[in-house]
Amino acid sequence: MFEFFFKYPLAAYRKGEFLFASGWAVWLLPILALGAAAGLLWHARRARSRLTGPALWGVWALQAGSAAVVLTMAWQPALAIQSLKSQQNAVAVLLDTSQSMSFGAQGVSRLAAASSALSERVLPALSQKFRVRLFGFSGEPERLGSLAPEALPEPGPSTGVGESVLRVLRESTALPLGAVLVVSDGSDNSERFGRDMMSEIRRYNVPVHTIGVGRESIEGDIELAEVSVASRSMPRSRVSAQVTLRHDGTDDRQTRITVRDGPSVLASKAVTLRAGEPVRREWIDFGAGDAGVRNLAFAAEPLPGEEISGNNLRQSVLDVPRRRRRILYVEGEPRWQYKFMRRAVHKDASVQLVSLLRTSTNKFYRQGVDTPEQLEDGFPAEEKELFAYDALIIGSFEAAFFSPKQQVAIREFVSRRGGSLMMLGGRSGLGAGGWQNSEIVDVLPVQLESGPASFLRERAKVELAPQGRDSLVCRLDSDPARNAELWDEMPELADFQLLGELKPAAVTLLSVRRGRAALPLLVRQNYGRGRAAIFATGGSWRWRMGLPSDDERHDTFWRQLLRSLVAGTGGTVRLSSARSSYADESRIDFRVEVRDRDYTLANNAQVTATVTPENGPVATLDLRPSATEPGIYAGEVDAEQPGVYRIETVARLGEERLGADSLHVRREDGVAEYFHPERNGELLARLASQTGGRYWDLDELDGLAGEIRFSEAGITSREVLDLWDMPAVFLLLLLLRGAEWMLRKRWGVV
Amino acid sequence: MAVIRVRRAFWPLVLSLSVAVPLLSALQFWGFRGGDPRAWDFDPDARAEFQFVRYAYGSGRDGERWGRRRGGWRTDWPDAEYHLTNGISRLTMIDTAYGGRFFDPMDEELFDYPWVYAVEVGRWYLDDQEAARLREYLLRGGFLVVDDFHGSYEWAGFASSMNRVFPDRSIVEIPETDPLLHTLYDLDHRTQVPGIQYVWSGTTWEDDGYTPHWRGIYDDSERLMVAINFNMDLGDAWEHADTPEYPESMTALAYRFAVNYVIYAMTH
Repeated sequence: MFEFFFKYPLAAYRKGEFLFASGWAVWLLPILALGAAAGLLWHARRARSRLTGPALWGVWALQAGSAAVVLTMAWQPALAIQSLKSQQNAVAVLLDTSQSMSFGAQGVSRLAAASSALSERVLPALSQKFRVRLFGFSGEPERLGSLAPEALPEPGPSTGVGESVLRVLRESTALPLGAVLVVSDGSDNSERFGRDMMSEIRRYNVPVHTIGVGRESIEGDIELAEVSVASRSMPRSRVSAQVTLRHDGTDDRQTRITVRDGPSVLASKAVTLRAGEPVRREWIDFGAGDAGVRNLAFAAEPLPGEEISGNNLRQSVLDVPRRRRRILYVEGEPRWQYKFMRRAVHKDASVQLVSLLRTSTNKFYRQGVDTPEQLEDGFPAEEKELFAYDALIIGSFEAAFFSPKQQVAIREFVSRRGGSLMMLGGRSGLGAGGWQNSEIVDVLPVQLESGPASFLRERAKVELAPQGRDSLVCRLDSDPARNAELWDEMPELADFQLLGELKPAAVTLLSVRRGRAALPLLVRQNYGRGRAAIFATGGSWRWRMGLPSDDERHDTFWRQLLRSLVAGTGGTVRLSSARSSYADESRIDFRVEVRDRDYTLANNAQVTATVTPENGPVATLDLRPSATEPGIYAGEVDAEQPGVYRIETVARLGEERLGADSLHVRREDGVAEYFHPERNGELLARLASQTGGRYWDLDELDGLAGEIRFSEAGITSREVLDLWDMPAVFLLLLLLRGAEWMLRKRWGVV
Repeated sequence: MAVIRVRRAFWPLVLSLSVAVPLLSALQFWGFRGGDPRAWDFDPDARAEFQFVRYAYGSGRDGERWGRRRGGWRTDWPDAEYHLTNGISRLTMIDTAYGGRFFDPMDEELFDYPWVYAVEVGRWYLDDQEAARLREYLLRGGFLVVDDFHGSYEWAGFASSMNRVFPDRSIVEIPETDPLLHTLYDLDHRTQVPGIQYVWSGTTWEDDGYTPHWRGIYDDSERLMVAINFNMDLGDAWEHADTPEYPESMTALAYRFAVNYVIYAMTH
């Protein structure tokens, strides 16, 4: 429609430069227009007897407008624009041939619809003016001889829109490439099409036009859009996964999420997807099981008649290393919480609770030690001895018992070593023990209140704080409502301790009710590389003695709390990968953080990685230190074959072995295309607008070939397009004169 | 007239006193000090981590009137509590309440005190309900110390009720390597701690209980739930800590055992 009235596509007006082709002085135009208007006014006033008041001014305005239009036409307005020279430029047409293009509606696939539209409405017009280079692409582009079904490649396992465009641009640098036309559903799943790639595409200055194919919403489809779950867990721990479900949001729908490890069902949960709520996030808990590797499969039950069920499944790998975490618990006085805490983790093979209990003023009782010599001289005097533990718990112990050097070591244990510190309430603990004046005051998540009066032997009801409801530490049941109920039924604590103001980064998981106030009880925060927590009571043992002997709540809470202290604590060598599951990507990248025995980042270590695929040869890599991040060594490995890959890394400093770590990641093929199967118009529109092209709908392709012509890439010529003869101008003149005639007739002055 | 009235009242008064004085003495000997025993707690509301709690079992063996009415459960009370709790406070870091408390076997409040002491258990009797409650107390993590019973007759009485508590668990000798004997003090368990009768009889044993035994009942994780002082009387040793005739060494040993029992209960 625009082109009908204005003779040229809108893009020509956007890109072109407006000018007057007559060569006459432009300043003369407004003078003449003003003169004409004045003359017309003089003429109209002479005929006052016949035209008066508003009629006089109305007729004059219409006549002056007509004169201005005619004068402007006489000056020959035009657009100067660069346009591609006919038959001297190439246009690359990229047709998406990925798996998602096989989805469709009414029995016609997206690929068939796109091929048909290209063949019938686009390519004939393009071929008249340009040399058309036809490509098919999923992961990488490949030349196509024609769009005949037999000439198209097999559906590809992934879509890399950005990569394919970039590849074509790179390969066409020697060609006069005028434009790129991408025909796709936009379901880019390469995860590499970011700002950097877009910038690189823009640098070629070739307009990319995009044609969107497929529906923007698929009715009756559930997609398990994302599963967020830890890549590592301790044996027999609870693991919480956040599952993101997407649906069209038009109606309430019921489904069930199931977590499996091979044939074993680890957890299952019914979920209602509400109308008007297209994205829903659910937490699902399951047991990590014994040490080993869990091949986790998260599945959402398909809806009746669901077209695409391939996006109802996500797979992941969970490493459950056998390593036993060591917690040092120093307690200043025998008390019941000490006993019941020890009992809670007594059978936990993944946690070793080493305790040092001051039984009398000059005697200590040790439990959980490996050798008779361990902790023989009391609390570790040297950093090295303390750093051998993953977490430290300090009970009812006054700060003055610890030397300044030991207090500094505790602070460094958290900040540098990355260990966890938890302090417990007690008559000599926290503020009552003078810790507010110690070296670790910055580590703690609260400003401690001072004085022995802060510890109260009063019964206190525990409440779940808002953040506690989402925390695995406080998860007694996977159902949130039942979890809240279980906490509500908990017996009162035997005592608690008043804490001061929370620090900005502190998070409260549990609180105690005192009158109308909810006082923080379990608080934690990150500090440096580690974490610090306060459990401001010595009276949680009443949860054990006040509930039936077969009730596990007390023990579950303590196990989860102690495991949370050590779960994130690594050794000197920490291996990590960006993801635990790589779908349709043949490259696995990973990084290793290396520290020396003092837990200082080591830049001069020799780090090797051994990658063992499920099927295939073992690869050994020497990793290079990162130029920008100290202590970081990065590596990547080609993983063509799907399956589980085991990555082991060892770091050495000279002859000394600093440490080792290992990790499992999964490689899958034929998965990515089932996710986000609806058309991603937003991505296609962004690609077009960022490069100077235009986003087209498959049903409205008229003018595509004409618009492609106005490109500054390739071999171009400067073209001057006359505007004076465009239909809109004549229509305007007609309207002005017609309006004058209508008014004169109405007023009887024709 | 007034003289005649006094003469008439003299003999009844003498007669009354001659009956009342021996009776009150006997009652005192058996522990009946009169009134509500709770009134003898120096600080019944004392809030401390450790409280000495007596197990106030209610009825005697074979229909004997030995239980709550005759007060067998409170033998040595309250001096044993006063002396021992002072000692625990002095010798350890345990926050200890002075004196003691007692609870009926079916009292829910018993669960708030994970350490309990039962005495003269050779003549106790626990019915099925009480046995089940004690089993639940011990399985939750409570710790029971039994004391002051001697010889085969009293052992049979103790074992009869204890078997009702744990029909599936054996009573075993505590080995010398058990942490119970090493938590604070390294103790051997060959020395028989006698009752106060040693002062006038000169013998350390009673009935046919010649050999002292430290026995126990363990849970599934090899943790002691019940510590059994058989053919001994630690309670007397605590009670008579200030009796000049009672051997100080025996009191010291009894204190040490008690301290180890409490610390063990708070650590295992």
